[in-house]
Amino acid sequence: MILERHESFQRMIDESLAGAISADKEQSLREHLATCALCKEYLGASNRVIASLNGFSFEVNPNLNANVLAALRQQTRQPSRRRILLRHHVPLRVLAAFAGALSMSITGSVIVYQVAKLLTVPMHFDTAQVQAGVAVFWLLPSLCAALCLFAAPGENRGIA
Amino acid sequence: MESDTRRIALGLRHKDVAVLEILVGRYQHRLVRYLVSLLGRRDGVDDLVQETWLRILERGGSYDEHSRFEPWLFRVARNLALDAVRKQRMFSLDSDVEDGVRSLPASNKPSPYALAARTQDAERLAHSMQTLEPVYREALVLRFQEDLSLQEISMIVGAPVSTVASRIYRGLAMLRTQLEVETA
Repeated sequence: MILERHESFQRMIDESLAGAISADKEQSLREHLATCALCKEYLGASNRVIASLNGFSFEVNPNLNANVLAALRQQTRQPSRRRILLRHHVPLRVLAAFAGALSMSITGSVIVYQVAKLLTVPMHFDTAQVQAGVAVFWLLPSLCAALCLFAAPGENRGIA
Repeated sequence: MESDTRRIALGLRHKDVAVLEILVGRYQHRLVRYLVSLLGRRDGVDDLVQETWLRILERGGSYDEHSRFEPWLFRVARNLALDAVRKQRMFSLDSDVEDGVRSLPASNKPSPYALAARTQDAERLAHSMQTLEPVYREALVLRFQEDLSLQEISMIVGAPVSTVASRIYRGLAMLRTQLEVETA
């Protein structure tokens, strides 16, 4: 029973050293330590281990800092992959403009084609003529107009 | 603390080499110590240190200024070290202790702990530190040398706080016994 009591306080010592003890327990541990030589000895042995851990000192390679800083400087001088992409490849704005223009043109063309098909009989057109008309008079101009609109600088399309 | 971490976060976001230079000067020694404790060897530690700083430069934008810098630094270093270890397939740091995490095999070369011991008690514990399971050694070093809280250690090692606490208790118990035996 007495041994169990010591074990529970020694457990509290471990918790205290690990930083996992509550304020209540800490207080009760402090009171116990004031009167218990066995637990005080346990605390002393634990503190000795902790002090020993700080008795290890690893030497740092004297060139390590200089090497690390040289590598960091070199890295900051190199443009990032994203910047390289933007510099040497198609700018993202043009890609976005192309995608937007293409989707708008296709949607518009489908609508115009459906409307034109309804007019084939009263206007005496055949399907090939409707398709050619949609391509020449709607698809190509709308694609070009959308591309110009998206690729233009912000202020030219009313964006501050 | 807050203004210091804010300065660090700002510097990292702008990839400011002057800030990195200060950080390298301030944390290099601790980074080396942590990596040695994690790996149980000196070989390859310098390369990992360099890789860690380059990763810090690359991912600096993700550092949260509301938390201390050290845990984040150690976490980055740990991930790189584990990747390197996995590549080398020498041993696993993350294995469950009950399954038997393997320490480094015995070698004729003096261990980094034997070379780093500066006090008599440290000399007595050098062998035990070398043969201690890496998860215990890591927890002890982070708690008692790096002075990190259980929550911070838990964040670094990716284990629950209770697991970290239990690793500290067990590691301490092993070293306490060993020190008593060596002193007797």
